[in-house]
Amino acid sequence: MRVRVDRAKCVGHGRCYVLGPDLFTDDERGHCVVRSELVPPELETQARLGEENCPEGAISLEAGGR
Amino acid sequence: MATRNPDPETGRVNLFDPEIGADPQPVYATLRSKCPVARSTFFDSPVISRYEDVVWGLRHPEIFSSAMEKQMALGTERPMIPQQIDPPAQTRYRRLLDPHFSRRKMEELAPAIRSQANALLDRFLARGECEFDSEFAVPLPCGAFLSLLGLPLSDLGDFLEIKDDIIRPGKRKGVPFVPIPEATAIRAEAGRRMYAYFGSVIDDRTASPRSDLLSSLVHAEIDGEKLSREEILDICFLLLLAGLDTVTATLGCSIAYLASHPEQRQRMVRDPSLIPGAVEELLRFETPVTGVPRIAKQDVTLHGVEIKQGSVVNFLLGAANTDGGHFENADEVDFARARNIHVAFGVGPHRCLGSHLARMEMRVALEEWHRRIPEYAIKPGETPRYSLGIREVMYLPLVWGARA
Repeated sequence: MRVRVDRAKCVGHGRCYVLGPDLFTDDERGHCVVRSELVPPELETQARLGEENCPEGAISLEAGGR
Repeated sequence: MATRNPDPETGRVNLFDPEIGADPQPVYATLRSKCPVARSTFFDSPVISRYEDVVWGLRHPEIFSSAMEKQMALGTERPMIPQQIDPPAQTRYRRLLDPHFSRRKMEELAPAIRSQANALLDRFLARGECEFDSEFAVPLPCGAFLSLLGLPLSDLGDFLEIKDDIIRPGKRKGVPFVPIPEATAIRAEAGRRMYAYFGSVIDDRTASPRSDLLSSLVHAEIDGEKLSREEILDICFLLLLAGLDTVTATLGCSIAYLASHPEQRQRMVRDPSLIPGAVEELLRFETPVTGVPRIAKQDVTLHGVEIKQGSVVNFLLGAANTDGGHFENADEVDFARARNIHVAFGVGPHRCLGSHLARMEMRVALEEWHRRIPEYAIKPGETPRYSLGIREVMYLPLVWGARA
């Protein structure tokens, strides 16, 4: 699984890095930074939580990827 | 005979009907299904209620502008920064301010808020009852605000007066409304007090900087230029108006809900890891800041209704947050809700600057309150009273222990 954040859409709600702190973190402004675009299997739940709870729809997931 | 509110025939809605204070959800439901572009009877202006429309409008500041300080008449002499400014100027201010309100920064304040919450609890715990609004929900966010800005707690009384005069010009006189000319005069006087107070603090921090937010603002630069005195004052005005009432209202709405839903509360008390989810879910379901205004910069037709250029449009966050098209079982409160894209802090470029502060205050307050008062109820025979617009629970008598 791959995860991407559209930095143009992110406004810093911070839901992703609160719900998925091992996969998402924040920059100085509190906007989302993805720690690893390629999602380790154990962090797929955090990836989904981030995607599902972003009020801006800024996070997208893609199946597969190596 | 009761008139229908909203009236689906005319699309008119009275958002200042005292009947809807405690329970606005039925009004929201009718608005969404029957009149998604309604007309407020109070302001004679458009009201938007569906999730997708609210989100669309708030993400398009070039159509729906925030530059409306004249329409709001809150005692300001200039726009509040960054709330009443549109991108791209707004973006430059947010770049400067966001780091001071980041989640990490706000977590650093948590221990101070925790001890302030406990100091408040110490005052009334043994009494077995309290009036939640005046004894907890009002003072706690004010203490947090003063801590954040680096101001002495002894200034709390002055702040409360200024803020009340601006937001609820009748409150200190004990009346719900005052006529508009009088309200404008009260607000202008409060505005002058505000400018004078922060003006002297700015002088002090310019002469002797400390490690607080105001000192940072005095010495901050945007594109190599220092902020002007007016810019700093306009930021302070916003922080004062936006930072206090909103958290007070969120505390009141949340505790009123928990007091009257013991099963939900007990589940949270048994498993405090549910508290962050409860904070989010109560923000969604109660939506203490019911809506945010924007001014239409052009004529817009939405759902066949024309919104004229210059209209002040109310984007109803509360209605968006209970829209069944975007939330599973939207009318049910679920502290473990897996997918929660609520917009209680707004959406788009003006996402509440203080959202991480508010969330931290709410989490800490719910943790400390329920650690010390896990069982409580609304005082028998009493009814909480909600204000409108911003849903402060202005009267919330609670009892616990032997008095429950």
